[in-house]
Amino acid sequence: MNNWFSQHIQTLELVLRRFKTNKLSTLLICMAIGVTLALPSLLYAVLDSANGLANNVKSESKISVFLTLNHDDAVVEKITTALKNEAQINSFKFVSKDDALKNLQATDTNKDVPSSNDILGSLQNNPLPDAFFIEPKQLDNDSVESLKSTLSKLDGVEEVIVDGAWLKRLNALLSLGQKALTIVAGLLAFALVAVIGNTIRMQILTQQAEINLSQLIGATNSFIRRPFLYAGALYGLLGGLFALLITYAAILLFNQSLAPLAAEYQADFAVHLPSFSVCFVICALALLLGIIAAHLASSKSLSKSVG
Amino acid sequence: MITFDNVTKRYPGSHEALTGVSFSIERGDIVYVTGHSGAGKSTLLKLIATIERPTSGIVLINNQNVSKLKEATLPFMRRQFGMVFQDHKLLYDRNCYHNVALPLAINGITGHEAGKRIRAALDKVGLLGKEKAMPITLSGGEQQRLAIARAVVSRPSILIADEPTGNLDRNYAADIITLFKAFQQVGVTVIIATHDALGQANLENKVLHLNHGKLASAAIESTEATA
Repeated sequence: MNNWFSQHIQTLELVLRRFKTNKLSTLLICMAIGVTLALPSLLYAVLDSANGLANNVKSESKISVFLTLNHDDAVVEKITTALKNEAQINSFKFVSKDDALKNLQATDTNKDVPSSNDILGSLQNNPLPDAFFIEPKQLDNDSVESLKSTLSKLDGVEEVIVDGAWLKRLNALLSLGQKALTIVAGLLAFALVAVIGNTIRMQILTQQAEINLSQLIGATNSFIRRPFLYAGALYGLLGGLFALLITYAAILLFNQSLAPLAAEYQADFAVHLPSFSVCFVICALALLLGIIAAHLASSKSLSKSVG
Repeated sequence: MITFDNVTKRYPGSHEALTGVSFSIERGDIVYVTGHSGAGKSTLLKLIATIERPTSGIVLINNQNVSKLKEATLPFMRRQFGMVFQDHKLLYDRNCYHNVALPLAINGITGHEAGKRIRAALDKVGLLGKEKAMPITLSGGEQQRLAIARAVVSRPSILIADEPTGNLDRNYAADIITLFKAFQQVGVTVIIATHDALGQANLENKVLHLNHGKLASAAIESTEATA
């Protein structure tokens, strides 16, 4: 056990020594890996943040039921009980036309402009209808549509509007983004294996004399392969750390410009930095890909040089 | 310790390098494999060192049939041998010390114990002062001795040398042979391939003379010569 442990330490030392003698090329390879990994990481961070935003909006998604202009209070009563009995409804709010007008006056951004001062005041009677704002239980298309048709059949209902069309588009965009992320990540993982594999293959070529000799005097394949696996793993790990560095820097820079933009829309949106677990997964994945690449590269040259 | 029974070795796309060779070597013997260039000396050594496997016939090393061994066990088999290669196979990217360290690393011996053994091996071949020197700066004879130091550092029970005196002058060659005899005296089985007769040195020893892949004289002469 002790011997096994010391062999691994020794291999690690050997690999680090080799890295040290080729500082520049090691740095360049790690940076190339870092850039390759940073792309999907950034894409993930942006998508994740957008997803969070969409989830926020989802909970505000509503069905608006507008009543006819001429109806008596009995109709409102009836609809209220009907809504209370509807299983598909999470909660609802009644806004009478007077309340609606008051709200409108309160939020009228033009009220400080002298010339338009009296647009609302000049109206002879209230053009706004009574309305119910409903939060449905289920947000998928079918249940929302069936709820909509039920509601529009009620007496005194003028119009039912589902204000989720843009939400649907956002969701479609997000799922598109997720697919794009999967494809990009898959392709770049392949590129990563190619880059690391090729680097390891070059190293094996420069060590070919040692490998051949070692095989002749009784080295096992795993002994010969070990330093290359370590090198692959280290390339992956260092590349992963570079990727995190790039991702953090890019997101911080990005958020600087995003903050004023979000402020314009009175929204509080920023791309968040990847969490510790995400960072860990990125590094672990890079390390694993490095080992796989090194294994593939070394298998090929080991089978070639036996004997 | 080493037994060949009717061993034939044919390389793909080539004639038979060895044909029907039978002999046996006892522990502690010093054996010379002689013959012209291309007679099959190197092939014979590779078969002994389990670097090659026979096409037919049986090779027994320490009572183990090499043909029946699994691929994965061959490395462990090879560790019983100290090999001095015809082309030395020194690694020119590291100094003498680290060249000799390689077999120990393969055997899992490192650190202080390895350092002691490496210096002992270098001392035995007279290169103790050169442990930091790069192999390229050594003379031909010194490189040969470095290769021997590397072969003996892991204390093998069998020492195999392919043309160890090939391009050395006579005095140097005699030194090298003396060195091998010193190993034989401490119980190591020594097998040396050489294309030229080594003068009187080999007369009192076993000689396997190969001629076009056949054993011309399986004369294991030592018993008769000394008797």
